Amino acid sequence: MRQRLPFYSLVLAGISWGLLLLGALGRVQALPQLAGWPRWGIILAQASFVFFIFLNQRAQPNPLQGYHFVGLLRQLVRGPGLLAGFALGLGLIERAFSASGAPVGGPALLAVVYTVNLGLFVAFLARTNYAWRSLILFKSPLRLQREWVFFEVLLGSMLMLQLLNWHPPAIVNTVVFTSLALFGAYLGTNQKWVAYLTRPQKWQAVIYEVLLLLGLLVFVQYFRATQFDPLLLAPEPQGAFLVLTAFFAAFYSAMGLLVTFFNLPTAQVQEQRRTEILNIQRLTQIIQRGQSQVEIYQTLLATTADTVQADIAWLDVPADGPAAATEYYFNVDKEATSHLRSLIAYAGLGDESFVDNNLAAKVELAQVGARYRSLAVLPLHSVQHRYGTLYVLKHIPYGFDPEDVSVLRSFADQTVLSLENLTLATIALHNQRTQEELKIASEVQDSLIPKKLPTDDWFEISTHSLAAKEVGGDFYDFLLLPGRRLAVLIGDVSGKGITAAFHMAQMKGIFHALMQGNPLAKNERDRFPLPSRFMMQANTALAHCLERSSFITSSLYIIDYEQGGFMFARAGHCHTLYYHALREEVFYFQSTGLGLGIIRNDSYEKHINNQFYDYGPGDVMVIYTDGIVEARGAGQEEYGEDRLQQRLEECYYQDADAIKRFILNDLNGFTTGQPIHDDQTLLVIKFKAIQPEPTA
Amino acid sequence: MKVTAQPSADALLLLLDGELDASSAVLLDTEFNKPDLLDYRKVLVDCAKLSYISSAGLGVFISHLQRLQDNNVKLVFFNMQEKVFNVFEILGLDSLMTIVPTQAEALAA
Repeated sequence: MRQRLPFYSLVLAGISWGLLLLGALGRVQALPQLAGWPRWGIILAQASFVFFIFLNQRAQPNPLQGYHFVGLLRQLVRGPGLLAGFALGLGLIERAFSASGAPVGGPALLAVVYTVNLGLFVAFLARTNYAWRSLILFKSPLRLQREWVFFEVLLGSMLMLQLLNWHPPAIVNTVVFTSLALFGAYLGTNQKWVAYLTRPQKWQAVIYEVLLLLGLLVFVQYFRATQFDPLLLAPEPQGAFLVLTAFFAAFYSAMGLLVTFFNLPTAQVQEQRRTEILNIQRLTQIIQRGQSQVEIYQTLLATTADTVQADIAWLDVPADGPAAATEYYFNVDKEATSHLRSLIAYAGLGDESFVDNNLAAKVELAQVGARYRSLAVLPLHSVQHRYGTLYVLKHIPYGFDPEDVSVLRSFADQTVLSLENLTLATIALHNQRTQEELKIASEVQDSLIPKKLPTDDWFEISTHSLAAKEVGGDFYDFLLLPGRRLAVLIGDVSGKGITAAFHMAQMKGIFHALMQGNPLAKNERDRFPLPSRFMMQANTALAHCLERSSFITSSLYIIDYEQGGFMFARAGHCHTLYYHALREEVFYFQSTGLGLGIIRNDSYEKHINNQFYDYGPGDVMVIYTDGIVEARGAGQEEYGEDRLQQRLEECYYQDADAIKRFILNDLNGFTTGQPIHDDQTLLVIKFKAIQPEPTA
Repeated sequence: MKVTAQPSADALLLLLDGELDASSAVLLDTEFNKPDLLDYRKVLVDCAKLSYISSAGLGVFISHLQRLQDNNVKLVFFNMQEKVFNVFEILGLDSLMTIVPTQAEALAA
């Protein structure tokens, strides 16, 4: 129903107008059979026509599209304005006919023209009033919207009053009429939209408003003239409603005209403020697009110069690390500024923000003041960093008002913010690359740790390793040697991270190189170095490449199944925990030996030695790095050797894998919630309870 | 970690207080890098309040050991807690460095 309202109201308005036309013709005796129409019938037709036309306009969609105020005014002039021209034309033609005394003229023609013009006038008023409504209600508070509806209701009741043919005393009439007019005038003061016009738009608005007022004048003149026409006995059109709406339409146009007109001088200032806002937005957008430093500096200089309407400006960016010093110029070149530069530098300006609006009066800057009367110097700096200095000059004195200065400051701040964001983004990108490289390093290191553990029917092995960072300094490795022997190496490079990881890889290389066997050896046993010999050779190899404060701890075990024993050397590494099945005893091997890289000459030989031990079935060796025993609990206390020993006493009878899991479970329970400080490695070797017969 | 240096006629006394880890090792290293260190006959390290030493901490002593020996400056540790001594011992440093129980013995060494 609501969508069809414009249509129905238009149809009803058409019917009403038809009736009005017939009534008018009847009155002037053009249609004698209708002469008997009562006066109220004509008034009713006229009132309903007015009502439906207004209703029709009210139901139209808002004619104001976004901020197209000028478009709205233009449409108003082109549509109803042309109607006014048409009305004027009709009036003139009708006059011409009456004057010539043509047979078609006379009262009948007058009545038709009159009714047509009345229709046009009403349509014109309705269009105009509802156009004004959308302007008044533009960005209006709810209160104003309610007031407008109230105004409509009041006008509507004026229309109804006319129907009642009630004539109150003149004084009441005047009071009601005047107060409504005042109300309309009050509404007419809402001209907020004018502020959104640019200078050329304001000029257009002024022209359109003048044209509209002219259109109104044409109608009013016409009706004033015809009102007293002796030929026309039509009802007077100046129902209070029409007079009031005409008054309102005219008042609003006149107000708009005045407001727009008097706003013209300030249009430039307003536009400048709008440009400033837009420029700030531009700078902000540059950050989001992540452009280069050069672009940020260029934008700063261009927007600043544009916004404060500088005559010349330049921006000095000092050298920063690998980036050379650069200069940016606006409306001037390097040569032209060199003299100004030296003068300004001589005055000691550049480090702090400085604004002077009357340079000629300043002794030290008088020479600058000869050509430029206003100068603003603005350093760009954040808390830690100095980015550059901006110099802005104007020919006129007092070129920088306080608002210009605050705009300059906010531009400078925004620029610094952009530059810092750019730096952060670059750093973030760099970090990301480093992270990716670390990830690769971590993968490489992971591939260095043996995944396939050696197997034989006389022992079982279980391993665990965890790095505190992406890469670590712990390492272990195995090699099955001929003659059913197993070499086990464990070690820990001091420090953590990448450097430790490099030395760890190096140790692995040394291990594999030395354990390749010496082909010149006289017998099988001599082909492989004894553990102490291995440590001496490793110490020599590391002496040249390990930094002075770094060292490596390591233990090498060569377990010999044929002999039922093992030989080992401990180079400063954690003591080995051992379960002796026959004695049912858990203990640490007590042995001496110096870490690698501490003494870097042949005297190291004196600090390392071999130990021999016979193992029995069911014995367990637990080999680990200090990341295990030095792991910290909630109270910063260390896990410790004693606790590790107790755990083995509780689980020695299980298989190697179960022992490892039992110890790790206990360790993880102990360190819950604490960060890992050091790399952790744990190897469990169990000699099987039933040892197979030696084959050799 | 706090490092306090107390120079006397022929010995420099270094008091270590707290945990000697990677970050505090830098502090101690600065102390050892001072050129006048080699003018002393002895460097005495009071470990009474040293509660923990990491491999980076050990690295400081290890890296300066050779230089001190070459210049006939004796490095002596005393008042060492058992836990810390254990770390020196495992690494085999007790055979390289002089570690004595009391300050009197350190002065006599």
